[in-house]
Amino acid sequence: MWKNFCTLFKKDCRMLVSGKFLLMATGFLILYTAYVNLGYVRFMEKEIYNVYLYDPEGIQINVSPLVQSVPTREALDAALLEDTGGVGLSVSSGDVQVVLYEATKQIDRHRADYALSLLHPSPSRIPEQIGTNTPEQKARKEITCELLFFELSAVGFLGIAAVLFKEKSMGVIRVHATLPFQKNLFVISKLAVFLLSDLCYAVLLTLVNVGLSEGTAVLPAVLIQTAILSLVMALTGLLCALLLKDFRQFTLAYLLIAVFAASPVFLSANTAVKFDWIGFHPFYHFYMGLKDAYFGMPIMPGDYTISGFAIMILFFSVQLAFRKEMGKEG
Amino acid sequence: MIGIRYQLKSIWKDKFCLMTFLLPIVIAAALNFMGSIDLSNLGKFHFGVLEKDLPTQDVTWLEQYGPVTVYGTWEELTAAVNEPSTNVMGVKADGQSIKITISGDELDIFQQTASTLPTLYEQRDVAGQTEILSLEYPDILEDLEGIFIPAVLIMAIFMGCTFNAVNIISEKEDGVAFINEILPMTSRQYMIQKVMMGFLCGGLSSVMTVCICFQLSWQNTGIMLILIGLSSFVAALIGLFIGKYSEGLMVGVTYIKIIMLFFIAVPIVCALLGVSGPLTIICNLVPSQPAFEGIMALSAGNIGIAMKDIGILALHGAAWSALYILLL
Repeated sequence: MWKNFCTLFKKDCRMLVSGKFLLMATGFLILYTAYVNLGYVRFMEKEIYNVYLYDPEGIQINVSPLVQSVPTREALDAALLEDTGGVGLSVSSGDVQVVLYEATKQIDRHRADYALSLLHPSPSRIPEQIGTNTPEQKARKEITCELLFFELSAVGFLGIAAVLFKEKSMGVIRVHATLPFQKNLFVISKLAVFLLSDLCYAVLLTLVNVGLSEGTAVLPAVLIQTAILSLVMALTGLLCALLLKDFRQFTLAYLLIAVFAASPVFLSANTAVKFDWIGFHPFYHFYMGLKDAYFGMPIMPGDYTISGFAIMILFFSVQLAFRKEMGKEG
Repeated sequence: MIGIRYQLKSIWKDKFCLMTFLLPIVIAAALNFMGSIDLSNLGKFHFGVLEKDLPTQDVTWLEQYGPVTVYGTWEELTAAVNEPSTNVMGVKADGQSIKITISGDELDIFQQTASTLPTLYEQRDVAGQTEILSLEYPDILEDLEGIFIPAVLIMAIFMGCTFNAVNIISEKEDGVAFINEILPMTSRQYMIQKVMMGFLCGGLSSVMTVCICFQLSWQNTGIMLILIGLSSFVAALIGLFIGKYSEGLMVGVTYIKIIMLFFIAVPIVCALLGVSGPLTIICNLVPSQPAFEGIMALSAGNIGIAMKDIGILALHGAAWSALYILLL
């Protein structure tokens, strides 16, 4: 049995290479790394608003060094037009007027009060910090987690289905009906190949983008979550390949999964926009599991049980569909 | 002409091509729709306070700046502050002032806000009386949206390569390619028909995307049409290459994905990093770069750059056609 498994495993590996699957994965890995290191970490630098002061009579003498003085009212308007997030203070005959481009009511209130507070500066008090991550570490972990999730659930999934449809169209599945070895081996060998490639991918992506020491610390938990997601996606891909007629039909199912399933999850899990129904979205739980792993949060044993249960159900469904597909030959 | 009609009829029945056609249009519509959704929640300040800790008037004062959530215990509050997806700041009473707790992983703007909040609290009586002059937001595209929309358009234009590539590949798979060889049609005619197919579909999809995303003057519309026309033509030629060199649909899809990724990534990275010097010439070897730059220049009203990009795209068109004819 072990020898049969090895033969199948080798054949599947060769198929991944010939299907340009590895080429695509490497391309995405390079692109993601470039994006994280050249783009994402740089976007995340967002400073508090600039404050511009127009004070022709020089009434305000004790202003904070953070305030930038402008010589004329026109220069103030020009500075604000250039930096629409900034706040202008115009002083005439002792009265201060706050000038700003409208954002939301609450943000405007804060911008105005902040600008005014700089006219009478007092030493800023360092707030108590209770977390362990720096902003850059957080940004790196967050984006790596998103990219890994996207890779496993969207890009990897497409690769899996492409490989399986190819086998189906070549009639490989039906040939298996006549081969003298256990029928489970076909599915298990496929799962093993995809699991192994996803785990390697997760290791590389994490170590390169999160950093060597930080990455190694979170890697065990991340690999467990990767394995769960990878198995679920590979089994779903197998199920699609067995149930749908051809690759064209699959592209429709794929679009639904990639766009409509993944985007609300990203929005809910990463931003303050929360949907009430998101708890019923299965991908949300997988994503949160992965995110908790990256941030070193404890994962409930119940989550593992549910994931295990989901994988079992998918596995048996695939077995059923596989036997049905083999039976068609008969 | 009849040939092109048959070609268009055959891709119209293909779900894959139909989806490719509709995807950019749907994304463009969604982006337009997103513009009207209130996503201002994202940059807002969120505060967390302990039950029965701050007096009511102080909570009302905090609510001027952003939503306040009340937590029963200190543990619940710290868990909310530490939650990576939000930027909740914990606010506690501290004698005559307040004390702020943050996680430390927030963006600078939140950290700076947290360190200045006690000062704002102490000056709260003075600040409320100052006159505020709110100016209406100037009508220019936001940074992110300004890059997003041309990126979607680039996707629409260069997706044009999908139509003829997929069509050629399915002809290969179905054996129609062999029949084509014995039909009374020269390979030049075949090439023109396939290029026209990708050009028409990609161009139409892009024009619809432009109609949804941009409001242009008549002169700029003309320049935009030339930009789209030339880019769609280059995309169709690339589709011809993909179709020629892919053995099956799966390999073809992989090629299309890699090429699309490359075509979208290069102009975006160039725009964000502000590439200059000899690197610009290398970037311009990727046809999506002049197309993207042209569209960006056009939306900023800079016609000179757009005309230069039209020239580069025309060169691309000529070079790719010559290359295909040479390899034929």
